[in-house]
Formats: sequence, C-alpha cells, structure tokens
Amino acid sequence: MKRNQGLSAALFLLPYATLFAVFVLAPAVYGFWVSLHKWHILSPSAPFVGFGNYRQVLQDDLFRIAFLRTAYFVLMVVPIGNALSLLLAVGLAQDYKGTTLYKVAFYLPVVTSVAVVALLWRWLLSAEFGLINYYIGKGAEMVNSLGPRVISAHAASLPWLNSPALAMPAIAMLSIWWGAGGNMLIYLAGLKAVPRELLEAASIDGATPWQRFWRVTWPLLRPTVLFCLVMSVIASSQVFGQTFILTGGGPYYSTLTVVLYMYQQGFGLYQLGYACAVAYVLFVAVLAFTLLQFRLLAVRQ
Amino acid sequence: MRLTALFALALTLGGCAGDARRAAPEAVTLNFWNGFTGPDGATMEKIVRAFNKSHPDIRVKMQIIPWGTYYDKVTLGLAFGGAPDVLILHSNRFPEFANYSSLGRLDDLVKRPGFDESDFAEGPWAAGVWKGTRYAIPLDCHPIGLYYNTRLFRQAGIVDAAGNAKPPETLDEFLSAARKLTVDANGDGKPEQWGFAYTWLRTNAFTFLHQFGADILTPDFRRSGLDAPDAARALGLMQDLCYKEKVCPKPEGADAWMGFQTGKVAMALEGVYMLTSLEEQEDLEFAGAPCPLFGRRRAVWASTHLLAMPAAVDARKREAAWTFMRYLSDHSLDWARGGQVPVRQSILNSPGFKKLQVQYEFSKELPYIAYEPPTVSYNQVVPFYDAAIEASLNRIKPTDEALSEAARRINEVLERE
Repeated sequence: MKRNQGLSAALFLLPYATLFAVFVLAPAVYGFWVSLHKWHILSPSAPFVGFGNYRQVLQDDLFRIAFLRTAYFVLMVVPIGNALSLLLAVGLAQDYKGTTLYKVAFYLPVVTSVAVVALLWRWLLSAEFGLINYYIGKGAEMVNSLGPRVISAHAASLPWLNSPALAMPAIAMLSIWWGAGGNMLIYLAGLKAVPRELLEAASIDGATPWQRFWRVTWPLLRPTVLFCLVMSVIASSQVFGQTFILTGGGPYYSTLTVVLYMYQQGFGLYQLGYACAVAYVLFVAVLAFTLLQFRLLAVRQ
Repeated sequence: MRLTALFALALTLGGCAGDARRAAPEAVTLNFWNGFTGPDGATMEKIVRAFNKSHPDIRVKMQIIPWGTYYDKVTLGLAFGGAPDVLILHSNRFPEFANYSSLGRLDDLVKRPGFDESDFAEGPWAAGVWKGTRYAIPLDCHPIGLYYNTRLFRQAGIVDAAGNAKPPETLDEFLSAARKLTVDANGDGKPEQWGFAYTWLRTNAFTFLHQFGADILTPDFRRSGLDAPDAARALGLMQDLCYKEKVCPKPEGADAWMGFQTGKVAMALEGVYMLTSLEEQEDLEFAGAPCPLFGRRRAVWASTHLLAMPAAVDARKREAAWTFMRYLSDHSLDWARGGQVPVRQSILNSPGFKKLQVQYEFSKELPYIAYEPPTVSYNQVVPFYDAAIEASLNRIKPTDEALSEAARRINEVLERE
C-alpha cells in the first residue's frame, strides 16, 4: 500500500518534474556553465575564464547603476503595490452586490500582456497629449481658480518618460496598476480564511473595525503577506518589459534595470557569458533578499 | 528546409517546362536576405525578378526581414545554420561578422578579368575589407545631406539671382537662413515653424563631430575620441542651435522628420534613403544639397549596404552568388532611384543619374564621407555614444561630463577586446 502511494505520487509529479527539468533546471545549470566562458555568439571558440565575467560584472559601473535603479523600482512597487492590493481585497471581501464585477475589473490588467499595457501607458503618460497631464492641468486650473496661482502651468506638461527623475516613478506607477489585481486575489483568499467566529467574538467584546483588523485579521494574514511580499520582490526585481518598451533604459540610464541590462548584453551584443553572469548575480541577490524576508517576517512557532 | 528546396525546384521545373530553349533542372537556388521593408524593398524585388528572368540557371529567393530584427536573424543563422547565401550588411556592422570569419572571402573573385574595381568609389570600396581581406562589395552609399523646403526658402527670400531657393553652404549662411525660417507668429515662445531640426541624433552629431575633427574613436581605433576638446566644441554648436539661437527644437520628444514632411521644419540633415518618404508627401516642395560646412572641415555621416556571402557555401552556389552580386552592382542605377547613391563611377557619371536631383547633390559628398569607426565592438561602443549625445543635447547632463563618461566606458570595452 505504502509503496503504491509512492509510485502514484511519482507518476503525478512526473509531468511537472519533466517540464521543470527541461525548461528551468537544465537551462539554469547550462547558464551557469556559460557564465564561466567568454563567448561571443559568432566566435568559434569560447575560452573558459572561470569567474572572470563575475569579476567584471562587479566592477561594471553600468551594472551597479542597473542594480540600484532596480532596487529603487522594487522599493516603490512592493510596498505601495501590496498596500493597494490589500486595501482592494479588504474592500471587496465584504459581501456587497457587484463585487465580482470589481474583482474582474481589477484583475483584468494582470492577464493583459506587458506590451499592451506599456503601449497604453505611453499614451497616458505622453507629455503633450497624455490623459494624466490633462487631468493635472484641469486640477491645477481648479486650484488656481480658488485663489492665487499656486500651481505653475508647467505641471500640466510633465515629461514623464523623458525626465531622469520621473521616468522610474512613472514606470513603477504603471507596474503597480498592472499587478495590483494579482495580489488582491491572494489577499482575498487569505481574508476568507480568517475564521468568522473570531471576528464576531471580537465584535461582541466591543472591538472597533480598526481594532478587529489589526488585532485579529492582520496576525492571521501574516503568512499571506509574507507570500505576497516574497513573490512581489522576486517578480519586480526582474522588471523588463515595461522599461524595454517604454524607455529602453533611458533617459540617460535612469530606467536601466538588471534584466534589461542582461538582455542588452546577451541579445543585443551577444556577450552570452557576460549576460549569464549578470543573471546569476541577480539570482544570488534576490535569493539573499528572499531569505532575509523569511527571517524577518515568518510566523514564529 | 529540404522540402522548400524541393518545392523551389518543382517551381523552377514547372516554369521552364514550356521553355523550348532548355529546361533548367539544375537551377541553383540562392536565398537573399535584406531589411528593405520600405519602398526600397519593391525596387529590389523588381531587380531580383529581372535577374531571375535573365538567368534561368539561378533562382534568387529574396526574404525581407525588418532591420529591427534583421541582425539577430543573421547572427543566429551564421552561428547555428540557416544563413542565406547572399546577404546585405551595413558597413558599420560588417567588421563584427568579418572578424569571426563568418563571411566568405572574395579576394579571388574581384581579381577576375572583366571585373573593374577601379570603377568603384574609393571609400565604399575599402569598406568591404577587414584586416586585409575582402569579404564584401559595396552596393551603394547612403550619406546624410541637407534637405530643404524650397517653398519656405522662397517665402523667406532666401534665393539666388534667378529667384530659386538657395541652400546654405557655410555656418553663417546656415544660421542666417535658419533664423529667417524660424517663425513664432503668436509670440508664445513656441515657434510654429522651425528653421532646422535634429531628426536622428546619431548621424547628425557624428557629422558635427567629424567636421570639428573629432570622432567616436581615435584614428587607431584603440581609444575613444569623445573626450577630446573638439568633440565638446561640436556638441556646443549643436546645443547653441537649440538654446542660444533657438532655431531648432529640443531633440527630446520632437518628431522632427514629420515636421519636415509637413512643412513645419525648413531644413533637416537626413539620409538619402528618406527620399521616398518625401516624394510621397503631396504639396511638399523640397530639394537636396550637400551638407553645409559647420566646422573646420567637410565631413558627413554615411553608411553603405555591402553585399556578402557566408563562409560556408559550396562552389556552385558561390559562382551563382557572385553572378548575382555583380548583377546588383551593375544595376545600381535602378537601385539609386529608390533613394541611394551608387558607388560606380560609370553610373555616377551617367546622364540618367544626374537627373536624380537629391541623389546627385548628395553624391557630391562622396569625397568626404565619414563611416562610423570599423570595429568589432561597434555594437557595444555606439550605445555609449548615443547616450552621451542625447544627455548633452537634452541638457540631462553637462556635455563634458557626458562625453568623458562615454569615453571611459568605451575605453573599458576596447581594453577588454
């Protein structure tokens, strides 16, 4: 009986394990092997250079810029994005009519391809014709009509994607919009798992909604929060499509992210060994940060 | 692959079945790749069709791949198989492919009797050589030059004795024309019409740099030349056009070429290959002229479409490919009509070519064209140059800083080679 169970388990695992081995594990191991070589794709020889590529990555000031810009992006997207997802989930966890419609509406961007999202936001963010600047202009007019002109006319023509200071926040903004629905669903599931009796008991004891959330829901939600934070950090540290399509890393490297840099090295310049080394440095950094998150946030037994 | 070859063979056989002269069961099929997605593609297709008609023993199959992904396909094809038999390479990308011995040597072919290499213009002819070996022959040359709106020139009174629009030849003439042509009728500080605009910073800045005696790399291609004082001087003038003279919009976000097409920009420095996009424009009156002298010497950005074949082609295909390459070169007047400058003296001096106003004017630049530096690392070097130019002209970074940063990064790349 026992042995049979093991066999069944193995059989059930087999399809996924095969796909994982062929499409994830093997390329990852091969990628590490490639990262130890100096290899231009057209070059007939690819000399073994040991950790030479890694040494070069760590000395490369553009990699450093890309790393810091990516960290900046993660720091904006993960806290704000998760707070927003949780807020949406709390709102939609009530049994009002029409919540399904809202759930679908908030989730739709998640299933939209990054290319579509990026092109859509290019229009929204356009300095001259963009909807965002249009509303900023309208808002400024309203404020200014109340009294002295406190908001300058330039506010209505913010060069979102052409300014080194604004480009990354703009990309973070659209990324938050794009991804909020995904975590919202997970938070919703987490909220549903909070036992009703506990909340009712708290109500009877006279707890305010605020207290009920922070004293009852929040502690029980911690594993969900940890999961969402970890997944968000992993996903957002690999940001690529948005910057690739909208800015190409510019203006002046202000939106250069690590995966974009890796792509440029690997598929723009065909420095395959170097690109693989960049990928592995990112992997190690994300792994370290994930372990740290587990350390800090995991529920202590 | 084998199936397509069979299919092509069947087609060839079918096509020749009614032909009494001779069936061509052994027709060689040549795959020819290029990135001519615009009207130039239609021109090339016409030439290829004429070739196929006059050469029953060779069947050229042309595949057009957009330039954006073209070099990826070529690179992967050459690295892992599936490369074409004849391909177009830009002169600035050529060293990378020649260096890794991906291309076939043509030295013996150009030495054959009946092939006159002295008919080729010097610069473009030299562009097909890498480290002393010839791997390609030039099909054309495409420099940038001055396009100007003749109607706006006449309206502003910039005319010669006969009343025709007179293009500027020197910096002073250029500035005075640009000032007259910049019009801010409603006085809101945003001109409705600009005297000049930067369409592509890479080619425009390269031209300014060369005219001031600077370049992306030093003449020995060992170091970057962007930290030389001359480079900063060239960019200084480019900035002045935007911020001091105010005859040119800030490059960022401005769709300058569309501005020229619609008559909102009076002058632009663009490639001869952009000609057809102007000819399609109704009620645009324009002409071409050689690039004005902005700095201390004449120079202008140019590139060339080179014809090459991969190293791995068998003898029969090699012969057929060479026949086709020569045919394209011999028929480069047809090609020039689509917006190119031919590189054969016999064609340049032909009456047919002199009738092509823009091409003929731009061909006067041939003696002083400047190619981007021939280096294997071109692809790695040029993004640093682009970033520095963009940052400087949009005032994201001070010019000196942007240039020295780019120079440092370029030097790091070159040292690694």
